[in-house]
Amino acid sequence: MVRLSNAALVFRKDWTEFRRNRQVLVPSIVVPIIFAVMLPLVALLPTLAIPTQASSTGLMGVLPSYPDSVKSEIAKMTGQQAIIYVISLFLFAPIFLIIPIMASSVIASDSFAGEKERRTIEALLATPLSESEMLLGKMLVAFIPAVIVTITSFVTYAAILDYLTIGIFNGRLILPNPIWLMLIFGLSPALAFADIGLTVLISTRAKGVREAQQISAVLLVPIVAAVLQQTSGTSALDWNLLATLTGLLIGADFAIFVASIKIFGRNKILMQLA
Amino acid sequence: MLGVEVEGLTKRFGLATAVDSLDFTVSGGEVLGLLGPNGAGKTTTVRLLACLMSPSGGGAKVCGFSILREPTKVRERVGILTENPCLYERLTAYENMTFFAEAYGVSDRVERGKRIRDALDFFNLWDRRAEKVAHFSKGMKQKLAIARTLIHRPQVLLLDEPTATLDPESADEVRKMIVELCKLENRSILLCTHRLEDAEKLCHRVMIIDKGKELAAGTPDELRTKLARPPILELELKQVNEEMMQAVRRLASIVESSEGVKSSKLLVTLQDPASMTPKIIEAIVRAGGLILGAKIAAASLEDVYLRLLRGEAQWSG
Repeated sequence: MVRLSNAALVFRKDWTEFRRNRQVLVPSIVVPIIFAVMLPLVALLPTLAIPTQASSTGLMGVLPSYPDSVKSEIAKMTGQQAIIYVISLFLFAPIFLIIPIMASSVIASDSFAGEKERRTIEALLATPLSESEMLLGKMLVAFIPAVIVTITSFVTYAAILDYLTIGIFNGRLILPNPIWLMLIFGLSPALAFADIGLTVLISTRAKGVREAQQISAVLLVPIVAAVLQQTSGTSALDWNLLATLTGLLIGADFAIFVASIKIFGRNKILMQLA
Repeated sequence: MLGVEVEGLTKRFGLATAVDSLDFTVSGGEVLGLLGPNGAGKTTTVRLLACLMSPSGGGAKVCGFSILREPTKVRERVGILTENPCLYERLTAYENMTFFAEAYGVSDRVERGKRIRDALDFFNLWDRRAEKVAHFSKGMKQKLAIARTLIHRPQVLLLDEPTATLDPESADEVRKMIVELCKLENRSILLCTHRLEDAEKLCHRVMIIDKGKELAAGTPDELRTKLARPPILELELKQVNEEMMQAVRRLASIVESSEGVKSSKLLVTLQDPASMTPKIIEAIVRAGGLILGAKIAAASLEDVYLRLLRGEAQWSG
């Protein structure tokens, strides 16, 4: 039986440690937020400063696989509006999937592999807390900040973007939209949880934090592929695709969580320290 | 009351046997020393008794609860000091204590605060409670780690190398604390060490193990009596000559004789130091010897330990 108060105890302990660890705090929280502020400014300021003469029809030629609904939306826009719309809503979208993975893998590696590396885990395992309580507390301490950071980054990004483009789009706010809401509140948390589960599985075998982080970064590969696809115009995120991916990931999360409970055992962890 | 009862406890890692059919008990108010070289199986034994690992064979009861069937009840009643202090260095001393108190079920805030204060006071750490553990010296960390093991008032303490990393002064302080802890509340203490000084000063009984197997067990006095070499009389003489040597040989056997620039040394084995020492001294004086100094090197636990590990002695129980 999992007593939530015990999981909360582990969460509070790890949370306090996390807040005092700059090596974890900077890459997992500060960097993504800077990212969210800098990204729209760097990418959009040139377009905003020098209005393009290109037509939106010309842009359609390089985005052959975008859904018809997006194409028809773009067709109604001026060239400047179309460029801002495509860059800010489609090209940058997968980059926002890197944020939860970055945050969760840094925090989870420190919480699991870090505790092994610093050899504090033996005293924790000696307490009467159950393995599931420890696991849940540690997973939440990586999951909650990852989700908060992703949402904060999104809100910051959307606010800056809307502020900069509200005049160009004649008073219309381009964010939030349903695709981004699904991305931030559906896919991102599911991805963060999968990454944490993966980090737990890796951390039971990894010798240290860096090794765990490096291996868990493997989840970034499909994200980078998605960025490339968006950039090359060979595909575009749409709501149905995101909803399907989220559903599949939630299923995978459940399987990973069950596997993590089986793997996160006193015997197995201690065997590595023996 | 028996704090710990171990029967045929065995732990194998693949083909290697780390703990091989150990049997022992630790009563209330008793300190049992588990002695052995590195890799003897001491830490694994402690981990088995703290339910951190499952045994491959045999079993044990801690405070009457089986380590196989009731691991949570065992964990609630055991305080374990691992070889490494296992403290969270980014947390303060007080935060470390609070976390472990709650983890061990000390849920009442007032009671928890009182226990933390008592434990930190006992180890003279109360004034440093708000400092991060990262800023503590090794000795302070070790004291805090011991304080942490006591926070839930365990009946059984498993202490793995409590003085291993400490300077002599801190080690002596920790030894005094262990003696007090044993007297207070009639605790059973299993002390793992390869520091024989700790075993001599702290343990009511000792068990010497190697490669997971018991080599000998008993009180330090029993082991010394049965397994140590006879005491040795060390004599410092102005000069040693053959006449003196023969006089001594008629009474006892000479282990070693050496001639130095200013004096010579003669080491003599004694079966009965009380009666033989005056006779040997008298024989040397009669043979014209000038004795500059004499002392009896009593048999030590270290001698027993080394003889057992080298296979020079065998325990017959």
